[in-house]
Amino acid sequence: MTYMWALYAREVKRFQKLWMDTVFSPIVSTVLYLSVFGIVAGGQMVGDVNYLLFIYTGLLAMNMVNSSFSNPTFALIIAKNTGSIMDLQLVPVQPWGIGIAYALAAVTRAFITIVIAVLFTGWFIPGLSLEHPLLLLLGMVLTGLEFGMLGVVFGMWSKGFESLTFMTTFIMQPMIFLAGVFYPIATLPAPWDTVSMFNPLHHNINLLRFAVTGYSDGNPWLSLAVVTVLGLMLFAGMHVSTARKIRSL
Amino acid sequence: MIPLHVQAVSKTFHPPKRPKVEALKNVSLKLEAGKIHGLLGPNGAGKSTLIGMISGTLIPDVGSIEIFGVDILKQVRNAKMLMGVVPQEITVEMAFTVREVLYYFSGMYGVPVKERNPRIDAVLAELDLTDKAEERARNLSGGMKRRLMIAKAILHKPKFLILDEPTAGVDVALRQRIWQLVRRLNAEGTTILFTTHYLEEAEQLCDSITLINHGKVIREGNLKELQKEFAQNTIHFELFDTSVEHLPKVKAVGVEFEYPLVDLEADMHAITSHYNGNLKSIKSGAASLETIFLELTK
Ligand SMILES: Nc1ncnc2c1ncn2[C@@H]1O[C@H](COP(=O)(O)OP(=O)(O)OP(=O)(O)O)[C@@H](O)[C@H]1O
Ligand SMILES: [Mg+2]
Repeated sequence: MTYMWALYAREVKRFQKLWMDTVFSPIVSTVLYLSVFGIVAGGQMVGDVNYLLFIYTGLLAMNMVNSSFSNPTFALIIAKNTGSIMDLQLVPVQPWGIGIAYALAAVTRAFITIVIAVLFTGWFIPGLSLEHPLLLLLGMVLTGLEFGMLGVVFGMWSKGFESLTFMTTFIMQPMIFLAGVFYPIATLPAPWDTVSMFNPLHHNINLLRFAVTGYSDGNPWLSLAVVTVLGLMLFAGMHVSTARKIRSL
Repeated sequence: MIPLHVQAVSKTFHPPKRPKVEALKNVSLKLEAGKIHGLLGPNGAGKSTLIGMISGTLIPDVGSIEIFGVDILKQVRNAKMLMGVVPQEITVEMAFTVREVLYYFSGMYGVPVKERNPRIDAVLAELDLTDKAEERARNLSGGMKRRLMIAKAILHKPKFLILDEPTAGVDVALRQRIWQLVRRLNAEGTTILFTTHYLEEAEQLCDSITLINHGKVIREGNLKELQKEFAQNTIHFELFDTSVEHLPKVKAVGVEFEYPLVDLEADMHAITSHYNGNLKSIKSGAASLETIFLELTK
């Protein structure tokens, strides 16, 4: 267990060295999206919630997902390319410990990113409050871990940066598109509204948005359940992938 | 306790779209505690494959491996904790300094936080890397990176240290330094297993050797005994001008030449009269490890 924390500390140190990337790129992307949507749809409402707040929470959740997915993925692909993945093959840390260390570092990074992004941009969002703080904390940890673990699985299996591009374009982007980041999924034409309910990412975003604004697309507790179950499944998947890969790279 | 017990291990690689490679065939190996053991063999013999399986990074197809009685397949974590491994391939972290690399790596072997920096300082001093501590690891020279790999392997004070060609690409003075370190660790009770292509090195350091070729153990045992076995039958000599016509049975070994000894007086005479004034030195005696190696792997 304690050995795992050294790996966690190393991975935190790694992104601390890329301070600018960690902090500013999400802020910039959030501000860009917001200014476009703010101009187009300023003043509209989704239920009781201002549309700007609706997409703001969606964007933050999306940032959280992206950041926690890409952190371990990049670290592992680079480690494979440089051969320093050998370190992970040698050390006495269990496969799940290796995966969790990477995923937790990703969660840490995502937290820092989100907190700083909110400090910089939260002032401009009408009606920003915090309806369910504990649920938000839980939702962030679960979401970060889930996509952090997905990033580990992907980083372990991927052949290189080309497959990362593939993953982003053909899997992550469509998932994000159908996750209700920019609009409530109820407004989608059939069958896309139903399809969206089966999109795991929708539940992460819905859960986080509900925790902040109190607005939910569908039952928020269903979302919490889906996120938790997926997290557990990914934990198993991550352990197996790491165990397999770490010994046959 | 036996530091290493390898039993009937085989490994075949199946690279995609390439013919399979039988890297190891039924290899067994047992090391005595507190000794320095050399694993020798030509390129591609299977040394690194064997080391990979011992260190838990490769899974054997069949066979078992125990480190101080701990099975590397069944109790990977416990077994790994007992070892320090210097892989043949040099790899460095892109992002970190030498100190950071060592700090986190030793942490993953359970070295407590407050002990890490003192140990790092001591090891860096011993490997002559002190002034590179805050340098980015990837900016080190090849030989420095090699020493960094060695530093990584010993910070947690393993009882069993494995070095896969630790001195490849390292200059003479630093090679001495590395062997000094290995000897000290050995004197403190660490069992050593290493590979090298510098056979003089093996000759000076090893208590025993295992010679493998084409994935099979072809010879093993105490180095002195092996040398004795090959001892009485060789005459060594050096020449000023080496580009002359040689006697039929003469073999070049490094800068020396060797001649199979049958009758000391007659053979000496044959050599001295053939080479005459061109002869720089001549002696009979123990075969070098190089000769044994070439003899057995040919
Ligand atoms: N991952 C792999 N996939 C396919 N073949 C491999 C793999 N690793 C090693 N081999 C093959 O196994 C054989 C033994 O390789 P190994 O690296 O163990 O040799 P070695 O004794 O360490 O050689 P050297 O002295 O050059 O380091 C070689 O034929 C090599 O090509
Ligand atoms: Mg090798």
